[in-house]
Amino acid sequence: MSDRNMTVLGRRTLLGGTAALGLGTPMLARAQAQTTIRWWSPQTAPAQREAYNFQIRAFEQANPGVRVVFEATSDEGYPAQMAAAFASQQVPSVVTHLPSFALATYWQNGLLEPMNDVIQAVGPQNYYEGANRIYEITPGQYCGTGIGNSAANMLWLRADLMQAAGISAPPRTWDQLRDACRRMQGRGVFGAPLPYGRNSMTSLIFICFVHGAGGQIFTPDLQVAVDSDAFRNALEFYKSMRELCPPGATGYSWGESLTAFVSGATATGIYTGRVLANVAAQNPRIADHISCHRYPTISADIAHWTFNDFPSVMIPKVAPNMDLAKRFAAHLFQPEGYIRQLHAAPGHVLPVLKTISAMPQYQDNAIINKYRAMVDLMSESAAAGHNLGWETPRHKPNTRAGAIIASHALSEAVQRYVINNEPMAQVVSVTAQRLEQLMRAS
Amino acid sequence: MKRILGRVAFNLFAWTIVLVTAFPLVWMVITSVKPQFELFRIPPTFWPEQITFEHYARLLWETPFLLYMRNSLLLSTATTLLVVTVATLGAHSLVRFRYRGRERLAQLVLFTYLLPSVVLILPLYLMMVWIGVANSLLSLVIAYTTFALPYALWLLRSFMQGIPDDLENAALVDGATRMGAFFDVILPQALPGIISTSLFTFILSWNEYLYALVLVNTDEARPLTTGVMNMLISAFNIEWSLLMAASVMMSIPLIVIFAFLQKFLTRGFGAGGVKG
Amino acid sequence: MAQRGASAAREAMAVPGLTAADRAAVNPLDRGYALLGMVLIAPTVLIFCAVIVYPLVSAIYLSLFSIFTPTLSGSFVGFRNYAELANSPEFWRSLLNNLIWTVLTLTLQVVLGIAAALMLNQAMVFRSLARSLILFPYFVSTVVAVLVWRWLFNDLYGVLNHLMMWAGILDMPLDWLGAMPNAMVSVVLVGAWKYFPFVVIAVLARLQTIPETLYEAATIDGAGAWGRFTDVTLPQLRDVLVVVVLLRAIWDFKEFDLIYLLTGGGPIIGTQTLPLMVYKEAFGLNEMGRASAVAVAMMLVMLVFMLVYFRVLRARGEEPR
Repeated sequence: MSDRNMTVLGRRTLLGGTAALGLGTPMLARAQAQTTIRWWSPQTAPAQREAYNFQIRAFEQANPGVRVVFEATSDEGYPAQMAAAFASQQVPSVVTHLPSFALATYWQNGLLEPMNDVIQAVGPQNYYEGANRIYEITPGQYCGTGIGNSAANMLWLRADLMQAAGISAPPRTWDQLRDACRRMQGRGVFGAPLPYGRNSMTSLIFICFVHGAGGQIFTPDLQVAVDSDAFRNALEFYKSMRELCPPGATGYSWGESLTAFVSGATATGIYTGRVLANVAAQNPRIADHISCHRYPTISADIAHWTFNDFPSVMIPKVAPNMDLAKRFAAHLFQPEGYIRQLHAAPGHVLPVLKTISAMPQYQDNAIINKYRAMVDLMSESAAAGHNLGWETPRHKPNTRAGAIIASHALSEAVQRYVINNEPMAQVVSVTAQRLEQLMRAS
Repeated sequence: MKRILGRVAFNLFAWTIVLVTAFPLVWMVITSVKPQFELFRIPPTFWPEQITFEHYARLLWETPFLLYMRNSLLLSTATTLLVVTVATLGAHSLVRFRYRGRERLAQLVLFTYLLPSVVLILPLYLMMVWIGVANSLLSLVIAYTTFALPYALWLLRSFMQGIPDDLENAALVDGATRMGAFFDVILPQALPGIISTSLFTFILSWNEYLYALVLVNTDEARPLTTGVMNMLISAFNIEWSLLMAASVMMSIPLIVIFAFLQKFLTRGFGAGGVKG
Repeated sequence: MAQRGASAAREAMAVPGLTAADRAAVNPLDRGYALLGMVLIAPTVLIFCAVIVYPLVSAIYLSLFSIFTPTLSGSFVGFRNYAELANSPEFWRSLLNNLIWTVLTLTLQVVLGIAAALMLNQAMVFRSLARSLILFPYFVSTVVAVLVWRWLFNDLYGVLNHLMMWAGILDMPLDWLGAMPNAMVSVVLVGAWKYFPFVVIAVLARLQTIPETLYEAATIDGAGAWGRFTDVTLPQLRDVLVVVVLLRAIWDFKEFDLIYLLTGGGPIIGTQTLPLMVYKEAFGLNEMGRASAVAVAMMLVMLVFMLVYFRVLRARGEEPR
């Protein structure tokens, strides 16, 4: 794989070789009940599970003899689980809510079924403009389709703490942000919950900062671009924020970062609209003091860059009962069920269908009503959002983005510079090398 | 008088050590009965201001916890039955019979200790798919034999070496067959050893994490270890109160085993001491 | 357990000795039963071949390929994976971490284990409850142990930081798991806490069989408490300790769950041991071939250490009995 010139052996050959050693060939079977649909997702909060159950029941009633089984995976765990599933060809029929760049990698290796039929069944005209562009890696074929949008790097603020610190306006630039955090820090409250862990959140959030400095990880034709002032500025700023984050931020991922803001331990937050539901459930005291804004950039000249992981729907190529799987995927967009799904995490997963956004049933939700302006801001930001798989509209799709995130090359760059205090030049060159190596390995 | 003071001082000292060791587990129980808002108090409250069992109720009625519990029970019981049966026969054979390759075999079993589970996982998974049991409890039972069988075999082998030959010989002189003697004489003698081996096998299977993480990805077959982690640690929340409640409940079967069968457990450990 | 280890060690040494089977063979009643013996061992052998030998040979075979995990397709690369490992600083760092972790946590386990066993061997109130409490960490699931410790270590709400700040040892919360060397220290401590009861149980059982007369004799010879410990107790414990150290060393070296769940190998690769590297290569980076190569290398390292251990013991005439 890392060497294209080598004879590429198929799976059978490889295992056949094992057989030649006298060990028998584990032939790959498709032993799955004829009418079971397995549905995987990493989005598994209890309220979401409830909405999924509703969608499953509706589908089962409409298709007698079909059973749909929901199976939970997780943001950090899905690469291993998908790998095992693909390797054994015991794949789920439908997988939802994986980030778009994960799909790109699978597509590149011929593991996914084109989703054109599903998009057709949902109605391409119902999507927001360009919602499926990110999935069109091979012209004319879609490796997946969006099931939601998310604006993952919103800046969350506490009006009460800002007032106490005498800060009148939300920060627009990094300097203002750092200053605000410094003034609000104290009496057990930290400034910000930025992640410094070796995990996907740190990689993904740090990419936002690189763009916030006016830089990029790859050039539009996918050459490594980390040896730049913007990358260095981002690292420098990220490091300067360390003292304003809780001590354990070196291990933070999404869950810890979110909980830190929601529990009131930090004055600012960086997350999706999930904050709204969690504050309502866990810390209603601050419900009237929170607000969300686009995350500051290095200066007012640099435009905001919103990280949207483009929660997706995909169908593995070898999924059993392909027709049924496709019908089920399309069924997930049926308004009644889809709205329940969106309401299960209001403001977190935002609709990809403009027809849904316009529906009164969607608008009719306590949290969406209460924070209407913020939800609109997030929808608007997410619609213009990007991620490592597609950094700007000028970029070619990066099918190695999933592998790059999984390799932790970027979060390690953060850890090297911030925690290990390695010299900047060394961090940049090591990171550039790792990225080039990962790009070559495709 | 001095003696009594010395006693008291020693007791105080010893119990301090014991309590420090047990503190994490005590803290787990305390945390599990605190309401969620009290959890995020800075500084933390030591004694809960308000005791609640809502986390336990939520786990039991609103999550697949009981399903995971059932899976873990089935899985550990099945593994224990399979492994102990096979290992008892095997250990008997290794101890009481003589044939070519016997010693070599015993050495190979020792070698399997060195194998890290991560090495075996992917080939094992492919094998499960091949025989059509992938993603099921059975696949985990099979995988668990990789570490439980060598373990049980060694434990039982040393127990059985402690049973005098004369007992079996006497039965044989009385006209019993080898298998008859095995059931009538050896098994009753080995029973404490078998019980203790079963307990260890059960605990090992109950606590396994890595195989369950990779080999199974459906709730229908997920045991507690991976089920609880998967369910409660996610990108949108870390439910510490539920995690602590789940930890307590996961440990309950072990506490029960421990309380009732402690003497077998320690005997299993300690038999080595007797023989040196 | 210890006894099982003792026999294990004996087999590995192939120390000639009369086993039960040897004695049985002398007995004419037992002749001609070899077939039955093989029948009885057959299920064990079959299972071993299926679930251990086959995957093991597969792993060695896979280590000669470059394989993309999800498709399992790849190309034969011979020993290139191994050559890359030899040149990879990450591999050597993980090996070093593995050794640091094993040596430190094992030492702590043995020291704490002996101390606790001596203490629990004395008369004290509610002794059997005390024993249960001390032993319990060994029996709880690693998942539970890690969750509890992560909660204790928590930077904002963790009781450990607050206790230490209250006692004046710290004035700011400490980052227990995210910075070096704290992360390694924390992992070692939790490992010691989780596994020292194993040493306690083995040592305690042995302590109970040391004849009281030995201590009396030592007291008559004028030995104090420390003298009695070094002259009587330690030599009596030697056999048990040789086995316990061997078993725990093997298990600690292979440890995956505890470190993976506690730090995930971080910060960067500060606490990444070889089993974690195998997992990362196989499932994080989807490089099944390289992962297998690391695993095979790891087994070789363990084998070498075990042989050295036995060599040293034999040279000092302390082979396990």
